Amino acid sequence: MSDSYLTERSAKDWKKSVKHGAGEWLAERGTSVALIPLVLWAVFSGIGLANQGYEASLAFVRVPLNAGLIALLFLISGWHMFMGLKVIIDDYIGKPGTRGLLNLVNLLFCLAVVVAVLGGLYFVFKA
Amino acid sequence: MSKPPTASAPPRALHRPLSPHLQIWRYHITMFTSILHRITGVATIAGLLLGAGWLVALGATASGICPEAYTVYLTFAASPFGLLVWVGVTLAGFLHLTGGLRHLIWDMGLGFDLKTSNLMAWSGLLTAVLATIAVWFYLFATGKVVL
Repeated sequence: MSDSYLTERSAKDWKKSVKHGAGEWLAERGTSVALIPLVLWAVFSGIGLANQGYEASLAFVRVPLNAGLIALLFLISGWHMFMGLKVIIDDYIGKPGTRGLLNLVNLLFCLAVVVAVLGGLYFVFKA
Repeated sequence: MSKPPTASAPPRALHRPLSPHLQIWRYHITMFTSILHRITGVATIAGLLLGAGWLVALGATASGICPEAYTVYLTFAASPFGLLVWVGVTLAGFLHLTGGLRHLIWDMGLGFDLKTSNLMAWSGLLTAVLATIAVWFYLFATGKVVL
């Protein structure tokens, strides 16, 4: 074999993560699979609600199953969005300080979206 | 720095995998769908924000905190520009969905050969475009959306 670097350097020397990596991989795939039916449901619901007015939207969200699916959709897609944006930031931003700051902004942004949705749902039911 | 090359250990640089050089790479459809998956993922965030805005407006109006919130939301969401965003989000979302399915197939260790990769790239693009056309054709044909 001419790939001497493979034998010369043992796999033990390779820089790899021993603490995490598998969890992120599974979370990315898990959220992706869960989002397939949820997004298709959202598309069909959106088509049904288009131009039907405020009362129809309110009645739709007040159905407990719908509210639950909406909460699930935004929790999972918020998580999925955070992981996707984090990968982009980690890929393109080399400076550790800037990268850390942007990832913090990313986390706060994704949390804000989820909190806003849950808050909206809360007020729909409280009213 | 590095050790001088010897007969038993040739210079490492010779055997290292080389980075892809964009200048000499022949264009391939999988290059396009690869970066498109990232772009459509970011673009779909607009859809998440439209959905979140809808729920916030609904909650604010229903609770009486801000009764005109839903009308304010509709002045954007139902405007021609809002409609353009909705259409863009539909296309980006369907492209990201078919791209995601492609990646899930690859994650199972399937479809890495050139023929299957090409097929998945093209069929994903086609399915997403057709699904977008179908959704908006239905919305306009039934009069649910009017310009």
